[in-house]
Amino acid sequence: MNPHSVLQPPTPPTLSPVWHAKLHLGFVSSDGRTVLRENRHAGPLRVQKALHPEGEAVCQAIVLHPPSGIAGGDQLLINVHVGPQAHAQLTTPGAGKWYRSGGADASQTLDFTVADQAILEWLPQETIVFDGAKSRMETKVLLGEGSRYLGWEILCLGRSASGERFDHGHIGLHTRIERHGQPLWLERGRIEGADPMLASVAGWAGASVGGTLLATLQPGDEIAALLETCRSIAPADGAEHALTALPNLLVARYLGHNSEAARLWFAALWQSLRPALLGRPALTPRIWNT
Amino acid sequence: MTTLSSLALIRLMQLVSPALPVGAYTYSQGLEWAVESGRIRDETGAGAWIGDLMRHGIGRFEAPLVAALIRHWSVGNSAEIARLNADFLASRESAELRAETLQMGFSLNRLLADLRDPALDNLRSGLADLPEIAFPTVWSGLAAAWQIDRQTAVVGYLWAWAENQVMAALKAVPLGQASGQRLLAELGQAVPPIAATALTLPESDWSNLTPAFALCCARHETQYSRLFRS
Repeated sequence: MNPHSVLQPPTPPTLSPVWHAKLHLGFVSSDGRTVLRENRHAGPLRVQKALHPEGEAVCQAIVLHPPSGIAGGDQLLINVHVGPQAHAQLTTPGAGKWYRSGGADASQTLDFTVADQAILEWLPQETIVFDGAKSRMETKVLLGEGSRYLGWEILCLGRSASGERFDHGHIGLHTRIERHGQPLWLERGRIEGADPMLASVAGWAGASVGGTLLATLQPGDEIAALLETCRSIAPADGAEHALTALPNLLVARYLGHNSEAARLWFAALWQSLRPALLGRPALTPRIWNT
Repeated sequence: MTTLSSLALIRLMQLVSPALPVGAYTYSQGLEWAVESGRIRDETGAGAWIGDLMRHGIGRFEAPLVAALIRHWSVGNSAEIARLNADFLASRESAELRAETLQMGFSLNRLLADLRDPALDNLRSGLADLPEIAFPTVWSGLAAAWQIDRQTAVVGYLWAWAENQVMAALKAVPLGQASGQRLLAELGQAVPPIAATALTLPESDWSNLTPAFALCCARHETQYSRLFRS
């Protein structure tokens, strides 16, 4: 053994820049067409093009995050405003990744405003939180009169495909939906690395993937029939799942080990929910097939 | 623990008694489905389920909310009471859990009128402004009006919750009386530290992230044969 090799200084850690990225999207409806009127960004977060894959009424935007992952200290803000009568659909081209942090917390804030009679769909791919990530994810949806929201989140704890578990770091989560200042939904909390809650039968029950789909409901929706239809659809991997209908919100939950199965299950539910709640057949975004 | 006046102790015992006519005994909060689905098979399983839920769920959301509500009731901060009441309702994970807290809140609110205690006048008028009343909102108002100190009240709240869960387990698993008393002794020991944490937990750290519990509560809605309403 060469004694000099052990005396060599350790390689300094690679310093990646810390990103403070902001994206502001403003959708408006004019003459039955939804257009992306405002599209401003600062830092690496953007929408390249407004798409209309199903005609004029719905505008689809694919939110890109070129660094492809969120590192310690990064701060992302996605601010979306959907104007009266407009219908916007947001998705992402690939899994969101939160890398291990050597120190600072990273944060992502989704700030959605859906004006009167408007519709917002938030259909992202899964979020993978690497072991050691220190993250804070906040989603706030403010709804106007008669507006609709349908969105989901799929959270993978650790890169479970390679057997990684979430043993270090932490995840702060806060999701809130309000209509006229009154909360319809509140879920919040903090997961520590190797949190006993993750192993607990009443907590994550040892699962590595958890997902929640939320869809606002309104008087006149055929809720009982919709629940029955949705309950007849199960995730392909046989994972734990359940549906419930609160007075103003339909909730579907997945708890298992397969983010693709979770996403396909949510997409299958969306096939039934979209025509019933948003008045349009579900057209699978092409970006999901790439 | 602060010294409780004998009267405050009596009031607390009345508040946490299974005799409180709010129908708590008709709810299992997903425990019945946890039994049906094989998550709980015996005394050990019941203790793990209830203890974990108290530690990771109820103790980190409902208990600190009760502590905060008692503080706001004591000083008549109606805006914060209304906010926390609405937040608690929005945090209910399933239709049955939401219906449960509203029914129990309604029943306890109706009891206030029947009690004919002038000390409860402010509480009655404070609640009159709320369109929908969650159970912890009324309960904490009573604890404040009856001058039960916050820590003791939160200990009592958690105890009453745990006792109700154990009683549900006795029927649903089923378990014998001796099992029930062993569970209560174990869970009772866990209550004080959970209550102490709840009292100091800042709202930014409150947590209702217990997805398997939420799944069981939602699954219970379609359980074929059942004894409980949640």
